Amino acid sequence: MLPYLLSLPALLVCIAILVPFVTAAVYSLQRYRLNLPYLRGFIGVDNYIDFLSDPAFWNTLRISLTYTALTVVLELLLGLGIALLLRRPTRFHNAVSIVLLLPLMTAPAIAALMWKLMTNPSFGILSYLVSLFGVHDFKWASDPSSALFTVVLVDMWVYTPFIMILLLAGLRSLPRQPFEAAALDGVPSSFVFFRITLPMLAPYIITASLFRLLDSIQQFDIIYAMTQGGPGDRLMVFQVQAYLEFFQYTNVGRSAALLMILWLITNILSNIFIKNWLRLRARAHGHA
Amino acid sequence: MDHSSLAGRIFRGVALALVLAFFMFPIVWIFLMSFQTNEQILRIPPHILFEPTLANYQALISGQLRTAAGNLEISFMRNLINSFALSSAAVFLALLLGVPAAYAFARFKFRLGETIAFTLLSFRFAPPLLVLLPLSLYYQQLGLNDTYFGIVWVYQLIALPLILWIVRGYFEDISPDIEHAYRLAGHTWREAFTRIAVPLAGPGIAAAGLLSFIFCWNNFVFALILASADKQPVTVGALAFVTASGIQYGQIAAAIVLSVTPTLLLALYAQRYLVEGLSLGAVKG
Amino acid sequence: MARLELNAVGKSFGPVRCAEDLSLAVEPGEIVAVFGPSGSGKTVLLRMIAGMFEPDEGDILVGGQSIVGAPPERRGIGMAFQNFALFPHMSAQDNIASGLRARAAAGEVAARVKSISRLLKIEHVLGHMPRELSNGQKQRTALARALIGNPEVLLLDDPLRNVDAKLRYEMRLELPSLLRRSSAAVLYVTQDYREAMAIADRIAVLIGGRLVQVARPEEIYARPASVAVARLFGDPSINLAEVEPVAGQGSLNAEVAGTPVRLDAADRQVADHGPCWLGVRPDDLLISRQAGENAIPARVVAITPMHEKAVLLLRFSDGSEWLAALPQNSAMASAEDGVFVRFAPEAALLFDRATGLRVGLPHRRQAA
Repeated sequence: MLPYLLSLPALLVCIAILVPFVTAAVYSLQRYRLNLPYLRGFIGVDNYIDFLSDPAFWNTLRISLTYTALTVVLELLLGLGIALLLRRPTRFHNAVSIVLLLPLMTAPAIAALMWKLMTNPSFGILSYLVSLFGVHDFKWASDPSSALFTVVLVDMWVYTPFIMILLLAGLRSLPRQPFEAAALDGVPSSFVFFRITLPMLAPYIITASLFRLLDSIQQFDIIYAMTQGGPGDRLMVFQVQAYLEFFQYTNVGRSAALLMILWLITNILSNIFIKNWLRLRARAHGHA
Repeated sequence: MDHSSLAGRIFRGVALALVLAFFMFPIVWIFLMSFQTNEQILRIPPHILFEPTLANYQALISGQLRTAAGNLEISFMRNLINSFALSSAAVFLALLLGVPAAYAFARFKFRLGETIAFTLLSFRFAPPLLVLLPLSLYYQQLGLNDTYFGIVWVYQLIALPLILWIVRGYFEDISPDIEHAYRLAGHTWREAFTRIAVPLAGPGIAAAGLLSFIFCWNNFVFALILASADKQPVTVGALAFVTASGIQYGQIAAAIVLSVTPTLLLALYAQRYLVEGLSLGAVKG
Repeated sequence: MARLELNAVGKSFGPVRCAEDLSLAVEPGEIVAVFGPSGSGKTVLLRMIAGMFEPDEGDILVGGQSIVGAPPERRGIGMAFQNFALFPHMSAQDNIASGLRARAAAGEVAARVKSISRLLKIEHVLGHMPRELSNGQKQRTALARALIGNPEVLLLDDPLRNVDAKLRYEMRLELPSLLRRSSAAVLYVTQDYREAMAIADRIAVLIGGRLVQVARPEEIYARPASVAVARLFGDPSINLAEVEPVAGQGSLNAEVAGTPVRLDAADRQVADHGPCWLGVRPDDLLISRQAGENAIPARVVAITPMHEKAVLLLRFSDGSEWLAALPQNSAMASAEDGVFVRFAPEAALLFDRATGLRVGLPHRRQAA
C-alpha cells in the first residue's frame, strides 16, 4: 500500500503527460483549426498523407536531420578531443573542465541571444573578426547560406561541454592496467587509441551521443531565438515548424501530426538509447 | 600515454588555448559589453579598454530603457523575479513529490513504480511541444493558462524525472539494513525515512534540486507557450527585449548577464554532481 | 521475559524455497545458534522474525503473541547486523541511544548508554562517528545498540563475520555472559561451527531451508543427525568410507579399504541395513607402526600443523584418503612412512548412504 501512496504524485505527473500526449495523437487524426472550429472533424491519416506531397514537410525533415547529424558528429569529435586533452586529472585540467561547463549551464535561448549580439552585422565582434580575414558582409544567421552554419556553431558552443564532461568521466574511470601494459610493450599510441581507448569508452560515447541525438532533433530554443526558423524556411526544424503551425496558422491537427512523426523518430532512437542506458546505470550502481 | 615530447606539449597547449577561447570568449565579451555605452559598442574596431558604465544595469533595474525612440518601459526585473519564483517553487514541489516517490521506487520493487519511472524517462526524451500544445488547450479550459501555478505544474515535467532518477540512485546506495536497524529500535518507517534515508541521500537530493533549478531557470519553450509578459521568466523576457526595436545593445548584454549569472554560480557550486545529474545517474562522477 | 517460537514457518522467493517447515522455540535467557552453510536460509529466517518480510506459512510468536504482520518497530526485537548497519551520520553515542529514544525518557538515556558502553568497553569512542571506528568498535557499538533497549528477542546476524581473528576469539569468550545478562531469547546466526559451539546453549542446524537438527553442541558433535551435519562440524572434517556392515560374532563388522574392522557391538541391529557411510572423526584415529587386528594399513602422504595439532594425510591401499589429527608432540610419523590406522569401535558413526541419515545409536563418549 505504502509504495503506491508514495508514488501517487509521480503518477499524477505521468497522467499529466499522458493525457496531452493521447490528445495530441487524436488531434493528429483530425481536421482541427483553431480559427475554423466548425470544420473540426475526424479525417483519419489525411494529415500524415498530406505531408508526403508537401515540400515544406520534406524540407523540415531534411533540415532537422542535417542539423542533428552535423551537431552530433561535430560535438562528438570536439568533445572527445577536449576530453582527451584534459584526461590527466591535474588541478589545471580540472579547473578547465569546470569552466567549460558554463556554456552548458547557460540557457540555450539566452546563448542564442549572446551569439546574436556577437554576430550583429554592424557591431558584432565576430563580424569584425571575419572582416579582418577579408570576409566582408558576412551575414551569419540572416543569410540562407550561412544560417545553418551559425546555429550549428551555437549548438556546439552550448552542448559540446556535455559530451566532453561525460567522456571525461568515462576516460578517467577506465582501468589503468591495459594502458600501462601497452606503454611497457611500446605499443604505438594510435593503436592504443583505436584498439583500447575507443572500445572501452564505447558505452560512454553511445550514452552521450544518443542523449545529444534526441535533444538535437528536437532543437527549438536556439533556432527559435536566433531566427524563428528563417531566413525563409532555411532552419524550419520539426518543433519550430510545429510551433508555427499551431500559433501562426492555428492548424492544430497538422501541428500534432508533425509532432507525432517527430515523436516516432525519437521513440525509435530512445528505445535503443534507454536499453543501453539502463544497462550502464545498473552497472554504475553495482547490481548489473 | 604522456605526450611529453616538446611538439606534443606545444600542440596540447595551443589546442587547450583555442578551446578555452571558443567557449569562454562569448561569456567574457557579453560581460564586457554590458558595461559599455552604445557609442562604445558601435565603435569599429572594438576597443578592449574602455571606461565602464553601470548605466545599462541602472536602466534595467529602474525598468526605464532608453531607446532610439525615447524611453520604453520594460520590467526586466519582473522577469528575473519570475524566474526565481517559478524555478524555486517548481523545485520545491518536485522535491516534495519526487523524493518520497524516489524512495518508494528504490525500496520497493513494484511494477507500478517501474512503469512510472520508465514513462517519465521516455517522456524526458519526447518532444516537449507534443505535450505542451495540447496541454495549453486544456489549460485554457481549466483557466490555468498564464497562471504561476500552471507554469510551476508543467515545470514538474522537467524537475520531477530528474529528481526521481537521481535521488532513486542515491537511495539504492543506502543499505536497507541501516533503515531496518532504525525501525527495530522502535521507529516508524516515516521516522526511518526522514531521519535516516533522507539525510544519507542528502547530497544527491541537493544535487538533483540544484540541477532541476538550473534546468527550470534555463527553460524557454514552456513559458513561451503558457505565460504572458507579466509571468514570463528571463529566457522569454530577454527575447522580447531584442525584438523590441531600438533598445541599446549594452542593455541587452546586461540583461543577458543578469539572466545567466544565477545558474552559472549554481553550476560552479554544484559542479561535483553535474556529471551524474546530466546523465540522470547513468555515469557516476 | 518472553519465549520466541517459530511454528512451521515457510517462505519462498519466486521458485526458491528459503524456509520449509521451520519450528523452533527459544527460551528467555537461552542462546540458540542457527548454523548452516551460506545460502541455507539463515538470514531469511532472522529477517522474517525481524519483520523485514513476512513468512508465507506458519506463525512466529513472542511471549505467546503472534508477531506476524506487526511492523518491525512493534516487535520488541533487537538485532545486530553482519555489516553493522550503523547510522553513518550519527556518533556512536547517538547510534546506541537510538535504540532507546523511541521508548525511554530522555534523562535515562545517557546513563543507560554509559553503562552498556562500559560493559562493551567502548566508552572512549562514544563521541566518534562510525567511519572513525575500527571494525571491532563498530561491532561493539552495533551490539550495544541492539542490547540497550532490553529487547525480548535478540537477533545476531553473524556478528563476528567482519571482525579480525583476534577480536573474534575474544568476543567468543565475552559474548555468552554478555548475552545472558539481558535474559532475552537470543538467536545467533553463524557460519562457523566453533563459534556456534562456543556461544550457544543449543545449535539449530539449517541446511537448504530446513532445520536438520536442533540439539546441544556436544550432542550435535557426537551424534550428528546426518552425514551433512557430521561434515559441517569438525575441522578437519569427518572421514568417510563406503561400507556394508555385516553382523559378526558378538559384533558388527565392516571392511574399510579392504581391511576388516570391528564396529561397536551395539550397532548390530543395523547389520542388514545395506550401504552405509562410515564416519570417523580425524581426532579419533590412532596411528601406530604395529600391524594387528582392526588396523588398516596406510601410507602417510603429508603432514600439516593445524591449531595445536598435526594433521596427517593418509592414503589407503585402495587409493582413498583419510585425515588424522594428532597432538603435535605425540610420537610422530614422517611422510612416506607406512603406518597402521585404528579407531575405537564406539567412535564410528554410520549413515544411510541413500538418505544421509544416521543409523543406529552408538554409545559414544562425549566430545570434549
